[in-house]
Amino acid sequence: MASYIREFNEIEKPKDYYEGLIEGIEKLNGTYDAFNVINKSARTGFLFSTKANICVKGFETDAGSKMLKGYVPPFNATVADRMLAKKDFSFIGVTNMDEFGFGTFGINTEIPAKNAFDSEYVAGGSSSGSAVATAMIKYHVSVAESTGGSIAAPAALNGVVGFTPTYGSVSRYGLIDYANSLDKIGVMARSSEDARIVFDRIRGRDDYDTTCSVEKISSEKKSRIFVMDSMLSKADQKVRGAFERLLDRLSRDYSVEHVDSATMEKAIAPYYIIAMAEASTNLAKYTGYKYGAMSQDFYKQYNEFFTDAREGFGIEAKRRILLGTFIRSESVKDKYYAKALAIRSMIMHEMDRLLKDGYILSPTLPITAPKIADARKLSPVENYAMDLFTIPPNLGGFPHISFPYDYIDGMPLGAQLVTGHGNDYAILDFVKEWESSFNYTYKHNLGEL
Amino acid sequence: MEDKEFDRLLKITRLRVSDGERSMIKKDVEQVIAYFDEVSAVDAGKEQERYPAAIPGRFREDVISSFADVDGLKRNSKMRNGYIVGPKL
Repeated sequence: MASYIREFNEIEKPKDYYEGLIEGIEKLNGTYDAFNVINKSARTGFLFSTKANICVKGFETDAGSKMLKGYVPPFNATVADRMLAKKDFSFIGVTNMDEFGFGTFGINTEIPAKNAFDSEYVAGGSSSGSAVATAMIKYHVSVAESTGGSIAAPAALNGVVGFTPTYGSVSRYGLIDYANSLDKIGVMARSSEDARIVFDRIRGRDDYDTTCSVEKISSEKKSRIFVMDSMLSKADQKVRGAFERLLDRLSRDYSVEHVDSATMEKAIAPYYIIAMAEASTNLAKYTGYKYGAMSQDFYKQYNEFFTDAREGFGIEAKRRILLGTFIRSESVKDKYYAKALAIRSMIMHEMDRLLKDGYILSPTLPITAPKIADARKLSPVENYAMDLFTIPPNLGGFPHISFPYDYIDGMPLGAQLVTGHGNDYAILDFVKEWESSFNYTYKHNLGEL
Repeated sequence: MEDKEFDRLLKITRLRVSDGERSMIKKDVEQVIAYFDEVSAVDAGKEQERYPAAIPGRFREDVISSFADVDGLKRNSKMRNGYIVGPKL
């Protein structure tokens, strides 16, 4: 499939198309919890949704947290404004997510989204609802966000394309921030062409975000694919087997080269140090009186008031605030935070060097989708280890794309392709080429015409 | 981590944990810090990258602009006499 957006625009729709589709979405959402809010008034254009940390005027945007329950933005994020600018896209709703983006499986929120292929399994996170909605609805794209793999991971587990652009190429004005030096807004779609259409719509300079500085996007095709052998050895056997078959297939057109990178393997700990340090400062602004969940007793003493108000944070958010605050303590900040920045620098240089000559390809996740009940049993450190492949490109702000490449026991597998800063079109082109010989399959096709 | 240090963190972050959560979160925090200790063994040099891309520090024009939906802004807070109600000092 080249582009669902183009196909949709060329097909005559029945008069009651949107009414019927919205009814279908509401019904299916009862099982999968992809949407937190459904816009029942969508009546024109191609549907798009936004992750619940991207502000859309008039729609509750809670970032998956009780702390922001009831918060209705009085303004649009720049990406929402740009999607709505020409009236060819219509907003269908706000999608579920891990609280403030804290999760790999989508389970760190009150009511988690469920995998679109089997509701007993995790949807992936943190942009869980965006991926599930994209896998549920045929003519739909979602504007999502990634800090350490939050687009790639759920995209892989729900069999959709998840594109995370170069850091700084898409404005983050109106994004509820998690970690400013890592957050990136990207796209989930059913085809690479649709991801490109949306990327072109939302990217580019924005006076409201001074970090949005990357304007030139290239498409420099590479003929070499690098595979990190020692990292691949940490993936489970089923994933390794399927990935080896993918490499065999790609080796007809590309030079597949196995390399080792001791440096990239060390990315997880520094990533979490930086992410938690930044998150703990960003979450300090939730105080229970300006917006979001309101504390009721304004006559309590200052400290008691704030401590009561902040009870709304979930367990993972509390852990990350405590850890981030600890890491920033004067006595240990050089040991952890400064060291993490130095490792980030080292990893970026090493990846930059490799990516000048070729792409880096890996499985998106080291495992197939676990059941929700099994994922809940993992310790935080076991959870963080699942980000083995998604963290290096996110830590360095490199563009990457997860695309479906196989199905095991009826569940999709995703591979992740990484390229150098600003070469975003090259990986979109790569996946377009892949899609010409591999059909993605879905359990649901709501809105099919 | 000593109880005293854990309590200090709770105090400065204005977080409260139930008795049941306390032992679990404290244990998790200790495990994660032990995991973070891995960074000490990495010889990474002195260069520190704060952002993945160069931030030009370009600011928008310093002009007064009106915010379109002031009422929408107020609806997210508890208001009294045109002011946002906050905690007692």
